[in-house]
Amino acid sequence: MRHRLAVLPLCALLLTPLAAAAQDAFPSRPISLVAPFPPGGVADLTARPVAAAMEKVLKNPVGVVNKTGAAGAVGMQYVATSKPDGYTLLLALSSISIIPEADKIFDRPPAFTVDQFAPLALISADPTVLVVPADKPWKTAKEFIEDARKRPGQISYSSSGIYGTLHMAMELLSHSAGIKLRHIPTAGAGPAMTAILGGHVDALASGPAVVLPHIKAGKLRALAGWGDKRVAALPDVPTFKELGYPDAEFYIWAGVFAPKGTPEPVLAKLRSTLSAAVADPDFKAAMDKLETPIAFKQGEEFQKFFDADAKRLAEGVRKVGKVEGKK
Amino acid sequence: MVETLGSLAAGFSVALSPSILFYAFVGCVIGTLVGVLPGVGPLAGISLLLPATFGLDATRAIVMLAGIYYGAMYGGSTTSILMRIPGEAASVMTCIDGYAMARKGRAGAALAIAALGSYVAGTVSIVGLMLLAPPLASFALRFGPPEYAALYVLGLLVLAYMSSGSMLKSLAMAALGLLLGMVGIDQMTGYFRYAYGIVELGDGLGVVPVAVGLFGVAEILSSAGQAAPPEVIKPKFRELLPTRAEWRQSGWPIARGTVLGFLVGILPGSAHIIASFVSYAVEKRWSRRPQEFGHGAVAGVAGPESANNSATSGAMVPMLALGVPSGPIPAVMLAAIMVHGVAPGPRLIQEQPQLFWGFVASMYIGNVMLLILNLPLVGLFVNILRVPYPYLYPAILIFATLGVYAVNNSVVDVWIMLITGVLGWLLRKLDFETAPVVLGVVLAPLLELSLRQSLAMSDGRYGIFVQRPISATLLAVGAGLVLLNLYSIARRGLDWRAKMALAEKGDAQ
Repeated sequence: MRHRLAVLPLCALLLTPLAAAAQDAFPSRPISLVAPFPPGGVADLTARPVAAAMEKVLKNPVGVVNKTGAAGAVGMQYVATSKPDGYTLLLALSSISIIPEADKIFDRPPAFTVDQFAPLALISADPTVLVVPADKPWKTAKEFIEDARKRPGQISYSSSGIYGTLHMAMELLSHSAGIKLRHIPTAGAGPAMTAILGGHVDALASGPAVVLPHIKAGKLRALAGWGDKRVAALPDVPTFKELGYPDAEFYIWAGVFAPKGTPEPVLAKLRSTLSAAVADPDFKAAMDKLETPIAFKQGEEFQKFFDADAKRLAEGVRKVGKVEGKK
Repeated sequence: MVETLGSLAAGFSVALSPSILFYAFVGCVIGTLVGVLPGVGPLAGISLLLPATFGLDATRAIVMLAGIYYGAMYGGSTTSILMRIPGEAASVMTCIDGYAMARKGRAGAALAIAALGSYVAGTVSIVGLMLLAPPLASFALRFGPPEYAALYVLGLLVLAYMSSGSMLKSLAMAALGLLLGMVGIDQMTGYFRYAYGIVELGDGLGVVPVAVGLFGVAEILSSAGQAAPPEVIKPKFRELLPTRAEWRQSGWPIARGTVLGFLVGILPGSAHIIASFVSYAVEKRWSRRPQEFGHGAVAGVAGPESANNSATSGAMVPMLALGVPSGPIPAVMLAAIMVHGVAPGPRLIQEQPQLFWGFVASMYIGNVMLLILNLPLVGLFVNILRVPYPYLYPAILIFATLGVYAVNNSVVDVWIMLITGVLGWLLRKLDFETAPVVLGVVLAPLLELSLRQSLAMSDGRYGIFVQRPISATLLAVGAGLVLLNLYSIARRGLDWRAKMALAEKGDAQ
């Protein structure tokens, strides 16, 4: 019985090229939206409602494909090198601008470069917030920074991994405020959170949705945010900009990209689809449940945001440099 | 206590509603399937089904996904026992004695004991989850990098007990596993190690392809290399159930496996895998007949299979009590409830009592369902052994390849499986055991990261490991084990292990 069943997937494989052969006006076959991170992460959870809303607008199937590995590099490389026909799209996070810079630092051939992509639309952009355990003495960001200045390298923070988003946020702050903190990389945003909840580190930069329950429960205290505006759910928490650190600006953002070279009419169709998709009430409800505000930008506006963000991050990565090069 | 019972009763009224029962059942069936199929484990199963839960509500979603998780622990033992191919990574230890039992015609007994052990462990550990979740979760949080480093060192010392042959050989295999575990991005500096420009290798060698390769593919290769095909064991119906002696031998191992699995499960990491290794080592250490291990010891099936099941309940403790993911699987489950607007956090139990208690009650019911589902399946599965090898093995190879590919949609993983398969075949030809390699691959990245994190925390001072009470205790236990062993070696000269290795050599010639 078991060996007979094995034939089924093989049949499915044989049939796929036939379905792909017939094509006319875009889109005439299913589109895949590649999320370069595993199911359940920010990229995946954003990609699913985006795909569902696009499907509604286009009246054509849009599926989410999780192509994971190497902190997103595998999936991003996959889209960068796939056929630029609009049928393979990427839902990327801020790390899309970090990975090529990190590759440069280590002199390794880059998995992909930023200019292999055509930006379509920004979906969300959540600033990170600085949290400390509630039993630590710092009540404000000012106290935190002053203490860090007095004891360079003594205050520790956890991150989602070296050159990861949560690491970059802290690096931008350290540089802007002229302080030195002790970095404890972990294997992801979850372990980074566990480390601060257990009191093993002193601080963490985190997306607001993830830390809100812990702030409400009185376990963590938010000191400041990295956005250009205060976080809606934390109206009393100032931004670093307000406090006089204009370079400490960082967002965990999610945007949709197509491979460079996709024909302009296809890009135009995708752009109009995305702007209709974000207005969809089901999409709004889904993002609401994730407590992620929609920050839709496209065209020039997105390009400007993307370029500025990429520049900040590239500088951040270069400032960190190779970790082993310094004490 | 009265309050707990009241809440539990309310939970049962949620869990017994037809739709929750239905999703629990669906989860358990899918879990059994992903467990049975080599390669596909609970993480792949849960990840694939996560999108399907977006149309449900938070309670139904988590009930179904949890069903897949603990259901997989039931199913995982099947192919391990019948064909020495781990259905998922936590069943690697079951391959050793489970398969040996099957070769002796006791496949049915091994499957029944695995199912019953899983049931007892599953049910008892939920009591732990229900009564002790908040205090245990805050204890688990006290495990920081130094505590983990100490725990993993202890885990490696325990390795020495796992082998049945030469200790030198098994330590060599553990070292090989640790070296293989070094492949991938250096988490502290971002360097790629041994990746040779292959981006996928940045994540290191996955446990699943390595385990399926070293056990499954190696087994198929070595059968193919025999002059005469292996004898097909035709199970007789009355031999399906365990004998009274076998029941007696499995009682304590199940009890110990349950407690141990739950405690290991609470700690973040790939708990269900580590729990099964530790349980095997403990059973072997405590057994009055350690020489039986590796040759069909009942305890070698009962202990690990119970431990991996109760570890799944343990893993839910930090997840439900604190909203902290204790590993990749709970992380996906947390995402499933976040999508429905339930924010996981320390107040989840108070704010969402119907979710927590409904979930706990559904686990009791799910375990009963799995027992009812799995015991009759024993008779069915055992019949797979009747399929002649020329048909059975190619089919298994196809399933294993599909399963390993499906985990990450990665061809690189399939290559890893095939290459470690050849390696495993070579090692078996040379009389090396491969289980320590798998443990090494699991532990190496964890041990390295926690060791280096600890040193980053202490600014390079090793004192951090003895200044913190938990890690100091763990290290002291490890040192005690080493001393105890040195003492007994000094006193007895040759222990049973060496004698047995000699005897085996005689057999082989």
